Amino acid sequence: MGALSRPAAPRRAGRRRARWLRGAGIGVLLLWSLFPVYWALNTSLMTNAQAQSSPPSFFPTHFVFSNYEAVFGYGPSSASTAGGVGQALLNSSIESLGATLLTLVIAVVGAYAFARLRFRLRGALFYIVVATLTLPVYATLIPIYTILTKLQLVNTYIGIILVYTSGFLPLAMWIMYNMFQALPASIEEAAAIDGATTLQIFRRIVLPIVRPGMAAAAIITFLFGWGQFIFPLVLGSTNSTEPLTVALSALAGRHVVPYTIINAAAIVAIAVPALIVFFLNRYIVDGIVAGSVK
Amino acid sequence: MSAIRRRLTRGPAIQSQTIRRGAGETALPYAMVTPLLVFIGVLALYPTVLTAYGAFVHNDALDPPNHFTGFGNFQSVFNDPQVRQSLLNTGLYVIFGVLLSVALGTFFGLLLQRRFRGRGVVLALMVLPWALPGVVEGVIWSWIYDPTFGVLNSTLKTVGAIHNYQLWLGTHQIETIFFISLVQVWQITPLAAILILASLQAIPGELYEAADVDGANGWQSIKRITLPLIRPGLAIAVVEGLVMSINIFDQVYVLNAGASTGSSLMSETYQITFGNLNFGQGYALSLLATVTTIVLSLLAVKLIYRKVEF
Repeated sequence: MGALSRPAAPRRAGRRRARWLRGAGIGVLLLWSLFPVYWALNTSLMTNAQAQSSPPSFFPTHFVFSNYEAVFGYGPSSASTAGGVGQALLNSSIESLGATLLTLVIAVVGAYAFARLRFRLRGALFYIVVATLTLPVYATLIPIYTILTKLQLVNTYIGIILVYTSGFLPLAMWIMYNMFQALPASIEEAAAIDGATTLQIFRRIVLPIVRPGMAAAAIITFLFGWGQFIFPLVLGSTNSTEPLTVALSALAGRHVVPYTIINAAAIVAIAVPALIVFFLNRYIVDGIVAGSVK
Repeated sequence: MSAIRRRLTRGPAIQSQTIRRGAGETALPYAMVTPLLVFIGVLALYPTVLTAYGAFVHNDALDPPNHFTGFGNFQSVFNDPQVRQSLLNTGLYVIFGVLLSVALGTFFGLLLQRRFRGRGVVLALMVLPWALPGVVEGVIWSWIYDPTFGVLNSTLKTVGAIHNYQLWLGTHQIETIFFISLVQVWQITPLAAILILASLQAIPGELYEAADVDGANGWQSIKRITLPLIRPGLAIAVVEGLVMSINIFDQVYVLNAGASTGSSLMSETYQITFGNLNFGQGYALSLLATVTTIVLSLLAVKLIYRKVEF
């Protein structure tokens, strides 16, 4: 009896130890992932004096909202920011949403043709589109600036939306292509035998099924748009089209704006992507996997 | 990228899945792919050709006119000590970025491999840094790194790791690059973790049960089963890390503030092109970086990727 039960005891102890280790690991993961954002939030809710106290306070004690008022151009310290963040928030939203809509429509339609329809040069054209996935920013940055300057599209929403769309299309197409490939062709074949046209099959049968895939592609495209920096930095020289990323770097670069206000502006810039991550994160993980592995 | 190649060589499989079309629909596929091709042609391929061409043309706003110069732009950039420094720095960004993001990503992936209560929430929270703009992350971390009021200094001093508050950025080259790179690692680690987690979850559980029966301990099963089988995920994570770190710009722009200590290839290209208005040299650096990115990515895939069959 005793001899038989001996191996079980260390194993149970080992399992308990493994669980404890994993708990500690998860703690490290959460601290690493969340602390910087928490710290910005904490600082944004303090007065400047509190933020500069030593040792720093790890929790906001009075919840000061004046930094957020200043960011949007209200209150006594608003002069230091000139209220540019509100306009930038609007610009980021217009540019990211515009690029997402355009990218999604073009990518879904094109990906379906590549995944399911037969036509001449399909292989070569598909290869060209997918190959652009490997192009880094360097390859296109300077020419895009000169092209847009010639077309007088610098400092316009249209210009930025067109550039974003061209940059995000290959990945969105690739994600949607993989989603279409994962569908069994039998449903479409059955519909074709029943006399449905290609467009009817695409609109009535395929699109409703791949809605989650479209959500994934749209969310990832939107997040990329929201995070863009070097293109809008180069393509805009006035506040009229400047997104939050450019506005925030300018704010931080001025060295006179208090860190409490800068952190409040950072939280404003983070709020939309953070909400997307918390509520729609399932699609993000699906999209990343569909866009890379397979 | 290997996935791309694999997909492309699988032509016949795709063919069999195409659906039959009615008469008069021959133009439809072309109509469906035209917008895609126009966008990519005009705003990706044509610019790339212009970059490749511009690298060999003298194009300096302060010294007109433009003329063909052969490798002249390359010679001038390689003779520029600032460019050489930024090339070296970028090498360090790549080393730190790839090693740290893949190591941390593997660790996070292993933590999330088995089901436990709350795993979905942990995964969602882990993804957060990936979804945030790099510039904003630079700004947030610059407050953490602050030499007088930063939480990094105060925490390290409290636990006794340092005696005096440190300037983390701008004094020592390697230290500056490490701390800027860390901000990018924070951003791209979730991507590595998700890619690695995806290949971890493809590993059949029976393999671990068999190892358990044979008396293997946890570390042995990680080393003998897990690591060899997640090579495809690792390969993609390495390539993603490579591409991101060769292109590092946002974090450098915010945290390095134009100094050469932590300048990257991208920040130097930006400075030469839009600061000095020497487009020819900017094109030369861009072409160099484009080719390096593509070659290194292909190489990494070739070295690490091995098709895994269960």
